[in-house]
This record gives sequence, C-alpha cells and structure tokens, in this order.
Amino acid sequence: METIVLKINGHKVTCPSDASLLLAARQNGINIPTLCYHPDLAPHGACRLCLVEDEKTGRLMAACVTPATAGMSIQTDTPRILNHRRNIVRLMMAEHPESCIVCSKGNRCELRKIAADLGVGDSGLYPMPNYTPYEEINPFIIRDLSKCILCGKCIRADHELVVTGAIDYNHRGFSARPATLHEKSLEDSICTFCGTCVSICPTGALSVKNTAYVGTPEKEANSICGFCGVGCSLTMGVSGGRIVEVNPTKRKISVNSATLCVRGHFANDFINSPDRLVHPMKTTAMTDPDSASPENNESHLPISWDEAFETIANRLSEIKRQYGPESIAFVGSPRCSNEENFLFQKIARDVFETSHVITSGYTSGHRLLAHIDERTRGAARVTTLAGLESAEVIFVVCADLDNMVPVAGYHVRRAAKKGTALIVADAFKTDLFSHAAINLQPQLNGAGVPPMSDLINAVAHAIVAEKGQGSDFINQYTDGRDGYVASLGDFDAQAIEVRYALASGIFEQVAGLVRGRKIAFVIGPDLLDFPDGEPLLDAVINLVLLTGSIGAPGAGIWVPSSENNLVGAMDMGMNSDYLPGRKKIHAKKEATLIMKSGMSDLVAAMETGALRAAFVMGENPLRSLPQTDRVKAAFQNLEFLVVQDIVCNRTAELAHVILPGAAVFEKHGSFTNMEGRIQTFEPAVMPPGDAKADWEILAHLAKVMGYPEQYEKIEKIRQEIRRTVPMYQGLGNHQQDWIRNSESDNPFLNDQAKFQFLPAKQAMPVSTDPSFPLFAKIRSPRFHLGSGTRTSRSARIKAYNGQGPVELSPADCKGLGLADDEQVRIASAAGALDRRLKQNRHLNPGQVIIPSGVNGNDAMFLAPLVGKEDPVTFGFSFSRVRIEKISEN
Amino acid sequence: MEPKPIDWQHLNEIIETHRHRKWGLIPLLQEVQEVCGYIPPESIEPIADSLNMSPAEVQGVVTFYAGFSLKPKGRCVLKVCRGTACHVKGSRSILRHVKKELHLEEGETSEDYQFTLETVACLGACFLAPTMMVNRDYYGKLNPTKVSSVLGQYSKNKEDDGSA
Repeated sequence: METIVLKINGHKVTCPSDASLLLAARQNGINIPTLCYHPDLAPHGACRLCLVEDEKTGRLMAACVTPATAGMSIQTDTPRILNHRRNIVRLMMAEHPESCIVCSKGNRCELRKIAADLGVGDSGLYPMPNYTPYEEINPFIIRDLSKCILCGKCIRADHELVVTGAIDYNHRGFSARPATLHEKSLEDSICTFCGTCVSICPTGALSVKNTAYVGTPEKEANSICGFCGVGCSLTMGVSGGRIVEVNPTKRKISVNSATLCVRGHFANDFINSPDRLVHPMKTTAMTDPDSASPENNESHLPISWDEAFETIANRLSEIKRQYGPESIAFVGSPRCSNEENFLFQKIARDVFETSHVITSGYTSGHRLLAHIDERTRGAARVTTLAGLESAEVIFVVCADLDNMVPVAGYHVRRAAKKGTALIVADAFKTDLFSHAAINLQPQLNGAGVPPMSDLINAVAHAIVAEKGQGSDFINQYTDGRDGYVASLGDFDAQAIEVRYALASGIFEQVAGLVRGRKIAFVIGPDLLDFPDGEPLLDAVINLVLLTGSIGAPGAGIWVPSSENNLVGAMDMGMNSDYLPGRKKIHAKKEATLIMKSGMSDLVAAMETGALRAAFVMGENPLRSLPQTDRVKAAFQNLEFLVVQDIVCNRTAELAHVILPGAAVFEKHGSFTNMEGRIQTFEPAVMPPGDAKADWEILAHLAKVMGYPEQYEKIEKIRQEIRRTVPMYQGLGNHQQDWIRNSESDNPFLNDQAKFQFLPAKQAMPVSTDPSFPLFAKIRSPRFHLGSGTRTSRSARIKAYNGQGPVELSPADCKGLGLADDEQVRIASAAGALDRRLKQNRHLNPGQVIIPSGVNGNDAMFLAPLVGKEDPVTFGFSFSRVRIEKISEN
Repeated sequence: MEPKPIDWQHLNEIIETHRHRKWGLIPLLQEVQEVCGYIPPESIEPIADSLNMSPAEVQGVVTFYAGFSLKPKGRCVLKVCRGTACHVKGSRSILRHVKKELHLEEGETSEDYQFTLETVACLGACFLAPTMMVNRDYYGKLNPTKVSSVLGQYSKNKEDDGSA
C-alpha cells in the first residue's frame, strides 16, 4: 500500500492512499466526532458531524466519505466547522424526546456525549419531538424510534454484516424511520433478534430489554460466548457483581467483529438463573436415611467442599477396589474448557485407571472430525471463517448454519452478497437457499430424505466429464484417482437429475461454476446421521481432493460445531479411543464397552451393571438423550453418581453428590472453536455462592486422591498441555492461537504420504415404513442450543415462543386434514409427543421439522437410543414419524 | 365497494420480465403501479425476490417516492396545484370546493374508488393558474363552476363504465 502525505490542522501527516480523511485523522491521533461511522460498515455520510474544511477551496466535506489525497490541506475544528457541528446537534436535540433523561443508554449515549463535548446544552430551538410507537412486545429489544437520529447504522449492520434485510428506511424527510416490511413488529418480521443493531445504535433508539434502569455497567470485561462452536468474543457489562449486558467485543481480532446471534446476545442471562447450584450437595438418602420423609424424598442437603471431596474419593475408591477400574465412567463435556477436559481425562486415566471417558460430542461431531482427520491427515484442521469470505466458491452440504451457528452463517451470506458463488445441497430447504447461485435440493415425493451422496458423486461425475479438475494437485498429493473416477460411472449426472427431479443440466452448471477453482466446503456436523452417512462424507472428501480444495486459503472443510468446545474436548482426549492430541489408541478389551457408538453404549453398560459409578461434568444426559425413562433407570442403576454442573438439571437430581461448577464468564480457561482457533478467557464475575471453577474442583479432587502433581494455577495445566500436546503449543501464549498441524504423514510436509481417493459407494436404499411415512429432522431452533439445558433457563428465551411448533408442508397438512396452529400428535417407533402445528411452505411433502431444546427437549422422545452403526438408523437428528389429529374428546 | 381486484397472473408476468435485471426496481414498480393503479403490499415480496433484494428495501423505495402508493387509488386521481402562482389565483378556494363536492380530504379516496384527491406543489402550468390534473389531463383557469363541471364529467364516466 502506498503512503501519501497531507496536512491536517497545519501538521504534515501520512496515511495509506486508500484511506478516508476520517481514517487519516484518527490514525494520527486527531479526533473527529462521528455518529454514523462504524469501522465494519461502509461509510455512509449521514450524520454530517465529521465535517472538515478544505483550506484551499474553503469547502466543507464529510471526512468519512472523502478520500484522502496527497497534498490536501485540511482543518478539523475551525470556528466555522464547530458552528456547523453545533447546529446539527442542536437540531438533533430539538427532535429528541424528554424521555432522554431516563434513557437506559444514559451515560453511554454517543449523541449525549457529543452534545456535551460541543457544549450544546439547551438547543434554544422549539422542541419538535417525533413521537413514534414504542415497541417492547418482544422479550429482547426495545425500539423507541423517537430517539432515532437516522444514522442508518442498524440498517447497514442488518444489510452488510448480518445480511438479513429485516429493516430499511421507510418514508422520507421528517417521518423517515427504520421499519420492517409492512411496518410490523419485529417478531412478525424476518428479524432474527441477533441484536447487532442494538449494540451498534449510538442512541437509546434500540436498547436491550430488561436492562432499563439497571444503570451504566460499572465495568466491562471480555469473555468468550459459551454456546455454539463459533466462539464469539463478548464484552460483558457488569453491575453489582452481576452480568447485566452482553455486547460484541470491541477487540480488534475476533471471529464475530460487531455481530452476535440471539443466543450470545440475549440468552446469557441464564447465569443469573435461580436454578444455579451454589453449594456442594449430597442426597439426603446418603446423609441420614431417617430424614428422608416422603415430601423431601430424593432431595439434597448442602455440605462442605471437604465433605464432598471425601465422599467422592471414598466411594469411587471403594467401587474401583470392588468392581475394578473399568466400572467407573467419566462423562466430560464439549461445553467445558480445554484445561478442564484435559484434567478430567487425566484423573480418569491416571488416578482411577479407567478408559471410559466420553462426551456427548462423540455422536455430535467427534466421529465426523476423526473421519475427516484420518482422510485428510490432519491437513484440514484449521479453516478460518474469515477465509470463507475470500473463497472462490462455497459449497454447503446439509448444514443449517443459520440455526446452528448463526455467526458462521453471516460469513457465508456476506461472501454470497459480495459475489462468491454459493452452492447449497440439502434435502431440507435452509435460509441459505435464497442467497445461493445454485441449489441442489432433491425431490422425492413422500420419501423424505434421498441419499445425498448420489448428488455429491454426480457433481464429481460432471466435473470429471468436463475435465474441470486441475491435475497438479491430484498428481502431486493424491493416490487412487483412477479407481475413483471409474467408480463414478455409476453416478451419471443426467440419470441422477432425472431420478431426483432436479433441473436438467444443473450438475453441468455446478461443474462450470467450480471449473479451475478451489472450493470451501461447509458440511453439517450431523452428516453421519444421514441414512447414507459414511458414503456421503466420503463423497464430499473425494470431491475436496478432486478439486484440490485443501491446503489453500479460502478452501478446505468447515465443520460447524453446535457446542463451543467440541473440537477442544476431542483434542484433550475426552474419548475412549483418542488420547490428548488426537492420538489414536487401541484400548484394552474390557474398555471397549462404550467405544462404538458413544452415549447409547454408555447407557447400555449402566443397564448391564458393567458400570457401577459415573462422574458427569457439564452434561445432562437425562435431557439430551432419547428415551428419557430408559436413561433415568440406567443412571438410577448406578451405585454412585457425581454430577458437576452449573444448574440443577435432571441428571443432577439423581446424583449422590452434586458439585457446583462455574459458567464460562466466572472462570479462567480456553475453548477451541470450529475454526481451530484456541481462545483463552478470564472471569468477568465471581461464581455464585460456594461454586468454584471446574478446573479448581478437579485439581482439588486430584489432590485428595493423592495425585503427586498439584494444579493450583491454571497455568500449570496449560504448561502440561503445551508440553504433551504439540497441536496446542500456542495455548495461553496470547488471547488466541491456532491448532498447529504437525502430523508426520501430512502430504504437504512429507513427500511419501498421499491423500487417498476412495471409490464412490452406492448408498444403501432406505426402506420406508408405511406406519411412519414422514421423515423428521430434529434440530434446535436458533433460540436454543442443543438440548436447551442453559437456553431454557434464560428468562428472555423463556418469554419468547415457549413451545416451538412442529413444521409440515402445506401439501401434507392438506392431505392429513390438519389446520395451522392445530394441536397434533407426532409419533415414531420410539415414542410420541404433542405439539402445535405450523405450515412451512419451504418444506417438501414428506418432510417434518421438529424443534428440540424447547418444551423440556421432548423432541428426543421420537429418536431411538441406538448408535449409528446400522446404516438404516438415523442417530438423534432424524426420525421416521407420523402425525395425527388429536381427537376432540 | 372493493377496489379493482389484482390480476396476479399479469403481475407475475411483469415481475418475471424484470427478473435479475440490474437497476430494475423503479421501472418494475412503475409498471406495476401503471397496471394496478398502486403497488399492492402483497407484491413487495415477489418483487424483492425477483431482484434479489430484501423486501424491506423494496418497501423503503416505494414509501420514499410520492409517485408510488401502497394503497389502492380511485379511477380518477385529482391533483390540485398548490403552487405559488395558483395560490395567488385562489387555488385554496378551488381545493375547498373540490373537497366539498367530493366529500374527501387531501390524500383520501372515495368509498366507491372513483376519486382520489391529492395536492401537488406545482404542475408547471402556472400560466393557466389555478390548475388541477385529473389522471393525465390538465384543467386550467379554474373557477368553482368549471370545477363542478369537470367533476361531473368524471363521475358520468363512472356510469358509462358501469353500463359497458
């Protein structure tokens, strides 16, 4: 970048040649007031406060939209400019309502600050407030547009950063206001309540509901969001030791810049829930059997930490002696930090000598990541979300980004808006369809989900037919291309177009679009739950290799993870078959109890009595697993259960000892997000009551158990991770670092190693069941995460749309004689539940969407508790169902 | 009485001819307004979809321009000039007379969707002051009698339409 020289206020300054006058001034420490400028938005020139004067011509120009040119001579605060600025602010103040004095933006209002800086007190003008309806019907955002100054930041954030298009200016002149389509309230519009506009609004026009009159936060502290795998950086506003406000961080380097989603912005109030655990507790049955009167049956009494540790140490040691070490299971969590999971598996493996360590992440992503790792030799571990915006082509395969990882969805939408070719392949229509250049949605009337692998293989077939693939990459780094190309003969693109009622020539179009380009693949973490899971994943990876989309910026495989530390939990060895650093182990024979399909095997082992005790940290299997009654009976079958969590959940109610842990914002730690970015965080507030950071609890337990190593500081754990896990060499060095790839068989580092093509496999046809004709996708809506243990304790989320209707195509509604809003019963082979029905015109006949997380996560009644080893079962994300009317009587 | 029903098939044809056309929004809106007499609010979403814009953005453009209306208008749209020259020549009385004759206020449409009354800042025909426009026809050098006869002429047309 060239540098240019110009004069500002008589001083010579330099700036890059593409800078605006505003940037040139700010980079040189000269302050120019602004209200409509934001570094992440395109300059707009609406507020006119950044007026500066060209000394040569005497012209007044808005600095934010005027490019700096060499030799300019600029004045930024002459009396003339100040007079103009004051008049602009006076006009804004004259339009501002009297409620300004009790505004919740209060001392952080940028308009008020600028008015004070310019010495505007009484505007001296006739007040003409612009009273517009005050909207506070939704539980998230208060809109008081009488305080709107028309800076357009909310509209631009909506269009440029989130790319939703929920609001725009309506009318003109004095009556102009940001408005939704047909001026409806926000919840009746396409607004997703990401809250980006609230954080960016300079005045009190948009504010967060519930924070009215809590005052200005006393301090601000940075943290990382604990919900999904994007790992957004947050700034928490703390008042009176409580978190009262959450905003996207102002730090330069973050995943999310100025954006957040509804969960990150509004659902973190769960940490102030009355359900928080504040003391270690023990069942009354254990302390004093006589006091277990019928009414406080199964209830728990507070105990001291010392008693808690002693009980755990004694009971677990006894069980280990009596039944052997493999009778104890340690259930860790993709919601706990790297340090905690590392220490947890260490206690399990070293202290109690069991190999039964597991997390729920096994089914929701670890198997998929392990499979990708194996085929890409660890070369696809780090893929930045920012890289998506520099990608040439983005290919989204069965990933519902906008509900699972909204902020990652913004990256894809921004890229598409800037002109990156977006291809979306999914059996269910997602929000991304309207942003895509090409949609591959197979139509199979009534059959629900056809094998998606056919489509991916057909894309490969079309690319090969067109000779659209580059050969350098394939020759240098891969093996087995010829066998693969031969196997593609079964996937003739034209035949597949006909079979799935796709537009004729659509695969040719895709091949044309990707010719000679590298592709960024975004794939759903539940890909393996599809009926043709493994062939589908292999088809995608073959396509990655065919297009050479690996090892280049803006290309690779992005796997959104629904839990914030899914990747970290795997890297820290919370898996029976992997040690820290993803080192595959071949465990002892008796250790294979829970290895094959994760949590369902864990439950089975509890039922058979192979497991006698369990230590559960940050998991709630009684809510997140299907067949709650069976899971409950299995946990009750245990002789001893410890639950360490932040809220008193269903699993904790069964525990013999409950340990109160700390939420993300109350402790030190680090998370590894879906990109492979390791982010460390510090506490913003103290844990409630006697609760402690989870790593402190574990360190203490290790000490009580007589483990020689002492972990008094988190740095001690980090040191050990850095020493033993080469992938995590950078942990804790800075606020963030990245997973290091140092696998010796990585073909980019080792000439002998090659990526292997696998022959394309025909997917097994899925048999249909006439008694359950519909195919249901079970997924948590944007407002909830996973099973909803935390989000359902957020007061705001609870107030919004409590039950979450089940969605069905209009054709099926008609066929079944069901009306919108009707109460219906959904039944599968595993169970049934009642819900309200909503027509969704985006669904194909035969498809159903059932939201999980809501209503006690009863959606799990519909899934069977079996693993996905059998190609005709669907894991926990899909189910075959039927929907029927509930009879009136 | 109901306004003229929307011919959705025709409307969709218009939208299709503009699909993916660059800078196509205002020409498309003009065509829709020409055919329907207004921009039906229900057409905003299909229009936005065809041009790959957000519906709120399309609505923003529609509400910005006085030339576009989201409400159905009468068959005869009266634009009474309130420019300086017309004002001097008594356009205030002309407007008052029109209001009285039609029982309408500015911006209103009669219940039978025959008349819509609007005012404009200047019709650019000051030499004919005071003036008004009915649909595309100018009427100048107005006086109350002339106004009444013009209005009568347009309400008669209504009967013609009804019998045809």
